[in-house]
Amino acid sequence: MASPTQARNTADLGRQDFIRLARRSARPLRKVLLYTVLVLGSLFFLFPLAWMAGTSLKTIDEVGRSQLNLLPADPQWINYDKLLHEEAFYRAYINSTFIVTLVLIGTVTSVSLVAFSFSRLEWKGRNVVFAMMMSTLMLPYQATLVPQYVMFNKLSWIRTFNPITLPGFFAGGAALIFLLRQFMMSIPKELDEAAMIDGANPLQIWWLIIMPLSRPAVATISVFLFVGQWNNLMMPLIYLQKPALYTLPIYVAQKLNLQEVPLPWQDVMAASVLFVIPVLVVFLFAQRYFIEGITTTGSKG
Amino acid sequence: MASEARGFTLEWALYTVIFIVVSSVILGYLAQSIARVFKLSKAEQRKVFWGFTFAGPWIVGFLIFVLGPALASFYYSFTDYKLGEEIKWIGLDNYRRLLLSEGRQGRQFNTSMLNSFYYALLGVPLQISAALAMAILLNKDIRGIRIFRMIFYMPVILAGGPAILLAWRYMLASNGGFVNEAMRKLADTFFVFDYLYRLFIYLMEAFNGFYIGIMRGDPLGPLKYTMPAFIATLLLLALARGEWSKGKRVLAWRGAQLIGIAISFWLVAKGLTRQPINPAWIWAGGGVALASILALAYHNRREVLYVQIATLISVVAVAGLALDHADFELAGSEAWRYLIPLAAVGAAVGASLAGRWTRPKVAALWAVTGLFGLIVLASLAPDQFDRGRLEILTRYLTFGSTIKHKADLDYLQTTYPAWLASAVWFYGLAVASLLGVALLDTHYPRARRAVVTGALVFFALITAGSLLDGWRYFDAFLDVARAAGKPNYHFALFHEAVAEFPDKTRVPLWMNSELWSKPSLILITMWSSGTGMLIFLAALKGVPRALYEAAEVDGASAIQRFFRITLPMISPAMFYNVVIGMIAALQTFESIYILQTPLTRDSLSSAAFLLYSRTFTELRIGEGAAMSWILVAIILTLTILQFRYSRSWVHYES
Repeated sequence: MASPTQARNTADLGRQDFIRLARRSARPLRKVLLYTVLVLGSLFFLFPLAWMAGTSLKTIDEVGRSQLNLLPADPQWINYDKLLHEEAFYRAYINSTFIVTLVLIGTVTSVSLVAFSFSRLEWKGRNVVFAMMMSTLMLPYQATLVPQYVMFNKLSWIRTFNPITLPGFFAGGAALIFLLRQFMMSIPKELDEAAMIDGANPLQIWWLIIMPLSRPAVATISVFLFVGQWNNLMMPLIYLQKPALYTLPIYVAQKLNLQEVPLPWQDVMAASVLFVIPVLVVFLFAQRYFIEGITTTGSKG
Repeated sequence: MASEARGFTLEWALYTVIFIVVSSVILGYLAQSIARVFKLSKAEQRKVFWGFTFAGPWIVGFLIFVLGPALASFYYSFTDYKLGEEIKWIGLDNYRRLLLSEGRQGRQFNTSMLNSFYYALLGVPLQISAALAMAILLNKDIRGIRIFRMIFYMPVILAGGPAILLAWRYMLASNGGFVNEAMRKLADTFFVFDYLYRLFIYLMEAFNGFYIGIMRGDPLGPLKYTMPAFIATLLLLALARGEWSKGKRVLAWRGAQLIGIAISFWLVAKGLTRQPINPAWIWAGGGVALASILALAYHNRREVLYVQIATLISVVAVAGLALDHADFELAGSEAWRYLIPLAAVGAAVGASLAGRWTRPKVAALWAVTGLFGLIVLASLAPDQFDRGRLEILTRYLTFGSTIKHKADLDYLQTTYPAWLASAVWFYGLAVASLLGVALLDTHYPRARRAVVTGALVFFALITAGSLLDGWRYFDAFLDVARAAGKPNYHFALFHEAVAEFPDKTRVPLWMNSELWSKPSLILITMWSSGTGMLIFLAALKGVPRALYEAAEVDGASAIQRFFRITLPMISPAMFYNVVIGMIAALQTFESIYILQTPLTRDSLSSAAFLLYSRTFTELRIGEGAAMSWILVAIILTLTILQFRYSRSWVHYES
């Protein structure tokens, strides 16, 4: 396919320039159209968020009435006030923060150690172990979900935070290791060698040279981990089973009580807004990492 | 109480860190001493120590959290383990119940598989088209495009959590929800839109009503022959159009392979789990194994060895399982019906291992394979043809009907058993004609053309004939059900949906009806299809501009450029997205958990959701383990297909 193109590139240069010019002159209208479509698309994507925020400030009467107004007639900040004075909400927020922090620290540290071993150290058997790790990427989590429950049950760890937080300490997530390893491979080898000659051991090389240089990749995996953990609903549902331990996702999900009539959607949406804010903030600051991270690994992390 | 729990976990986190450090260092020393045994140099030994110590957290974690549990769950899947009770070995019972939809759990599993099939059939194409459209829009170099990209991608991170799903649930409320209110307003304003909207409601309810009928196992009648005939017609049409090329041979070959593999899986799963097992399946399995050994014999010695070893192991395993089985009486003559085929397969494969590959040996083995095939046919065929199945063919080819006594419900039900089994013969015919086409290829062009045309006419007639008779069958059933006063019978929801065109007051019921619950879920996955969009975007960036310019010089229109350049060039991304989408459909959890109502739970439930709701609320470990292994097998098959086939039928830029 390439050869006729090349031939044309040299032979018909004049003609191509003409076409490019012609296309440029036709652009303004197209551009307006394109922007219109893009703005309409953005409205579609942002609307549920806006509807959530708008609803959270409405009165229960407004929510119960069928209507199309996005904005409340009179913003009810009391909806948030009520929530912030609720003990269960506080507890859930703290529990979620605790879990996410612990998982982030444990997982990022262990993952970076393993990625360091797979990228910067040369040892017999590395390729075999690495291939084994990559093959676990194909194994869906359902394969181990049930027996892990049995195992944690034997340890009496059900109704504690342990099953959700501690497995991450064992470099949980082959995709994260892979992503970090790919990045670490691109750091020049000479740096380690120089440090080695100066008498540094691998632990020092990892902490003093590679980690500071891998900051963008570490940020990427942290962001993936944060969003994954903050949103995680299944694991807490399986293991926590006790209201005092509930995380924010469970709290928000249970806020919707079908027995209540009319459904207090304004309260549910207020809790949802407070739930979504940290994710949105992280996303706004780190969206670059998301988009790059996905195009390199091709998965949700 | 919560703070105590946090303290407890912090304490354990400390122990965990100590455990990881100690075990990693031990692992390092262990590796080092092994290196010493293999007489590596001192420097190499140090390297091995550091390497294994650093990789230690993953290796230890893999053993504790992946390998151990995976083996344990494989064992559990053959037991009736329920948490807190004794473990009892029950062999293949769990698998049999799930695969044959026996009992409540089997039926629920069947429902969730059919739900996933619905998502794969409708949801995935819609999601991928949305993602591709978004990617094409965003693949422009204009001001502010980064912000648009961000906004288009944002739903992905939100849709993983409950908050935005709750917002959707509120927006989709059937009575007074935003979506329905806005649509009603639009419909009131523009009368054209009103008709389109009502048409949409009509079509959606009709389609979903029909699908629910299939899911309930309502008898399909002659319509079940339409599907294989239609697939074959489409494939043959693609082969008949235009000039013959190598790509078409590959298409015929792959088509035959895929249909064949799918049907074999189906048959073997059904056959092996049926009790008592029909010995024909052992003959069939042996025949397939021998044929694949022979097919590979001259090309790939190593793969041949794998197949040979795998076959021998499975022969031993099956023999063990058979002897272990409680109902099995070795003394009776029954036993020999199983042991003879097992011995025959073992002997034939063993013989194939002995000595070099010579012409006589290959010929002899082919003869044995043929013999196996004949035995299978002889034991299965009478069962299939004694009820006049051949007659069906002649009737449909002449657009006749097979329904004789209209007014008898029992008759209608027994003439067409509720599920596919006999339609398998049509798939078989399709595979055979495709294989024939692929084999004739360029060597016998005239015969090939004859086969393609003949098969095309045949399958097109069968499609039309079975559709026609299916219609008559449906009518007959409706009459009978009405007369018998059974309103909730035989595609009741479908008949209700198509009975009349929706009037102005009708709205989609979304989460309040099983007719609309799946479309709601698809709507939300379309809203959050940003991951696929990014993958398409990366692929679109890789298409050389020069190709478009060259095409433009040649006068190709925008549509031609899209179908002739863009689509082939991004086909790897397309294929990747399809497979990932199908896997995601099996694993959907959060959105179902949030969106379900007691009314729509079963119609939404995916395999992963069922696994959660059955295993972790009722603590049936054995059954859950079997379910997860079936799921793992499907997902692994999809992943491997993605790896294997993407190389051959997808354009990769070198």
